[in-house]
Amino acid sequence: MALLRRAWAIVWKDLLIEARSKQAFNAMVFFAALVLFIFSFALGPDTELLREVFGGLLWVGIAFTGILSLSRTYQNEETSGGLEGLRAYPGDPRAIYLGKLLGNIVLLLLVEAVLIPAAGILFQTDLWPHAGGLAAVALLGTIGFSIVGTFYAALTVNLRAREVMLPLLLFPALVPVLLGAVNATTLVLEGDLMGEVGVWLRVLAAFDIIFFVVCIWIFPIALEE
Amino acid sequence: MCLVGPNGAGKTTLLKLVATLLHPSSGDAYVMGHSLKREPDEIRKLTGLLTARGFLYDDLSAAENLHFTMRMAGLRPRNVEIARVLERIGLAEVADNRMRTFSTGMRKRLALGQLLVRSIQVALLDEPYAGLDSQGMRLVDEIVREFKAAGTTVLLASHQDGAAVREAEQTGVLRKGHLEILPKSESLSRHLSLGGPAGVPEVE
Repeated sequence: MALLRRAWAIVWKDLLIEARSKQAFNAMVFFAALVLFIFSFALGPDTELLREVFGGLLWVGIAFTGILSLSRTYQNEETSGGLEGLRAYPGDPRAIYLGKLLGNIVLLLLVEAVLIPAAGILFQTDLWPHAGGLAAVALLGTIGFSIVGTFYAALTVNLRAREVMLPLLLFPALVPVLLGAVNATTLVLEGDLMGEVGVWLRVLAAFDIIFFVVCIWIFPIALEE
Repeated sequence: MCLVGPNGAGKTTLLKLVATLLHPSSGDAYVMGHSLKREPDEIRKLTGLLTARGFLYDDLSAAENLHFTMRMAGLRPRNVEIARVLERIGLAEVADNRMRTFSTGMRKRLALGQLLVRSIQVALLDEPYAGLDSQGMRLVDEIVREFKAAGTTVLLASHQDGAAVREAEQTGVLRKGHLEILPKSESLSRHLSLGGPAGVPEVE
């Protein structure tokens, strides 16, 4: 319980700071819109093609945007002396990971709440009939992305070239979650005739559970190093 | 206990070691009977570290920063306690102002407040007088006296002279990682920023 209380204190602090500064949210929404516009221009006015590649484009946009959020995960600690400030408190250091992870999930889901409907309008795809399925895929995909990303952000926070190293290390590890999320999104939109969406959702859920256990287990070691 | 020594002597490193933010490369030490290597969490419960910048957030108010400190220390934040500490450090009137509007001295006061809202047994103060006006320096002296009266051990590293430095029961001079305890009879002034073997180095 102490771990959860401390994690919640970090979530409260991070979201309060973000609500006041809105630095990450504004940057992420504008960047995501820009990515979607570029794809839209590159692929032309073929609405059939845009619908076919919708899942891939959406998750490329989410992944690129998510990197912005992840790279800022530990940056707001810099004014307070870096991660040392959080490490100086007693208690399980896993609370830091859990708090940062929950903050990232909430922020990314808020951005997706703007991004996904905007992508639907831009690519002329009616998403409303598939809202339930899309929400499930977005939730599991975002959780998986944030689990791995929050861990790698901690690993790279003290590196001089952290902005370069974070995506270089992170994207290979994210292949399973991006593959699952893209396939599940495409199947949800095209109609799941073979009942495959459930399989991809289980793949995403399994990825989330396995990586959460591994990342939270080894986080104290990553923090010390 | 007061620690003096030239820049780079290892004062901050020693304080961070005691606060368990750094690991000893060899050997071990005990803080209130707890091993730095084996029981760091027990030590974190008992110690509070005041650094040059303080562990504070620009976009939180003074009261919110103390609220967060209490929650992270495993305490139940109480507005009455936070108000009492803010009053004590002279920031009651700006309790709801964001910290980014604070001067260096006000930040240092709030960082001192972070120690006061916790029940610590060892206070580690790294350059507590830095950036403070005479009123702020008196506040540091008063708080150190209060810590002593309450039985809290104070380990203070400073370049500047002050009542807390002069009233220390023990003074150690740190040179290149080696600690030498000064005899009570020896004047401290030549080891502080007035110059001398352990004060500001002759020429750098």
